[in-house]
Amino acid sequence: MSETTLRGKVAVIGIGISPVGKVPGRSPLWLAADASKKALADAGLEKSVVDGVLSCHAFASPFHRFSVALSEYFGIQPTFSNTLQVSGATAATMFNIGAAAIQGGLAKVILLTAGDSLMTGLTPEMALRSMTESRDQQYEMPYGIPVANTFAMTAHRHMREFGTTAEQLAEVAVVSRRHASRTPGAQQTAPITIDDVLNSGWVTTPYHKLDCSLISDGGAAFILTSAEHAKELGIVNPIYILGGGECYTHEHIFLMPSLTSTGAVMSSRNAYAMAGYGPKDMHIAGIYDCFTGTVIMMLEDLGFCPKGEGGRFVADGHMTYGGQIPSNTHGGLLSFAHPGMPGSLFHFYEVIAQLRGQCGDRQVAGAQLGLVHSLGAGYATNATTVLGTENVL
Amino acid sequence: MTGNDRASEKPIPSPDADSAQLWRGLRDGVLLLQHCDKCRHVQYYQQGMCRQCGAEDIRHRPACGRGKVHSFSVVHRAPGPAFKDDVPYAVLLVDLEEGPRIISTFTGGPPEDVTFDLNVTLVVEISGDGTALPRFRRS
Repeated sequence: MSETTLRGKVAVIGIGISPVGKVPGRSPLWLAADASKKALADAGLEKSVVDGVLSCHAFASPFHRFSVALSEYFGIQPTFSNTLQVSGATAATMFNIGAAAIQGGLAKVILLTAGDSLMTGLTPEMALRSMTESRDQQYEMPYGIPVANTFAMTAHRHMREFGTTAEQLAEVAVVSRRHASRTPGAQQTAPITIDDVLNSGWVTTPYHKLDCSLISDGGAAFILTSAEHAKELGIVNPIYILGGGECYTHEHIFLMPSLTSTGAVMSSRNAYAMAGYGPKDMHIAGIYDCFTGTVIMMLEDLGFCPKGEGGRFVADGHMTYGGQIPSNTHGGLLSFAHPGMPGSLFHFYEVIAQLRGQCGDRQVAGAQLGLVHSLGAGYATNATTVLGTENVL
Repeated sequence: MTGNDRASEKPIPSPDADSAQLWRGLRDGVLLLQHCDKCRHVQYYQQGMCRQCGAEDIRHRPACGRGKVHSFSVVHRAPGPAFKDDVPYAVLLVDLEEGPRIISTFTGGPPEDVTFDLNVTLVVEISGDGTALPRFRRS
């Protein structure tokens, strides 16, 4: 790995979130801009100081260059911008690339944002595209392979190889719902049981409806700047980017090297190495949870438990309060909200708020170090970011 | 074509420069795999060069058609109206005897027949629109 490091050089100084869930009458650009206003207000800054914008594609928006369209909508003219696309992993890559851009002198204050309205903003044509677009038009789409199916086949193989059970998968949904019930504004807060999950009807085996994440509207935004500039601005509680890592193992699910071990092993290893911390040091995690089985596999690949033991780890209470690694304490994509690309930014919002100690009755006591892992496209894309407070620099 | 027309029809694969021979082969009833003369790597996903060593000395040979189910998932909610009448159907990841893994669907029986490690045999099916797709039945 490179000797150059991002460790502690860049801080997150503002966070913002739009209303989430069903937000009718609001465009993806509005959702991103609303969150951006709040992130700037949180940092105590005017929009005129933003000189960099990073964003990503929105399904319900016609703009190819969403970051550029957003800048126009928001009334700024940045000198650094890009619209990133590595599916669900994009969120963590935005933080990693944003940090690198600041450290490399391409920008001083970066607005990192995404917004989409998958619940109320899609035309039928857009909805169909969002369901199948990322699958290969020759090798996959002719068979009728929904995005969920690729994740389902990996989970199914995990059950086969390690004895992971449907009840253990369901427990992830149950815990996430319990977490969401304490998060203001979460989309789904009514308690559910393992039986509720198992009786919610098949989507694609082994996944039932409640094993699958939500479809939502929403946006999130963050302000990044250098550690020095954060000090000059007098930011009270900057949260530092300590490490970043990515890994891209395949494009097609049939070329995934192993269905039960993913690029998250490498992306997290690199992020931990840069941070100088390991999985045992983390106090909180935000883990991409497009499906229940995804969380189980990621708990293993991110190093929180040995390979094959993710199901038992979850059933033993280790992904919630009092366990080894409280994860997705806001409810995740399964219960808080999943508007596509912004979904994983909510994991960042939660982990940063936890590290700031702002989470009220869902606060993880003494959280100083946290990790967010984003992934997408049937584990084709993986990206990890390690974050921490001033105390752990 | 309007959105609705497209939504109700199954996607038709458009061959590209890398894949033209594969689709021609399927129309003739064979699944062509690419064998690298240099490093002996065998690939299903068609490329103008070997994925392992980069050599362009690649020969197409028909697959023997025998394989084993590595994983599968039975689709109950169709991805769009075009597949609504087909559910439930089993999507398979099949390990071909020659080495490559292929994604496909189960044919010739109910999806409940599919199990891990099931021995399956290639069937090239030609649909109403003339598209020839490799599918698999129980051996």
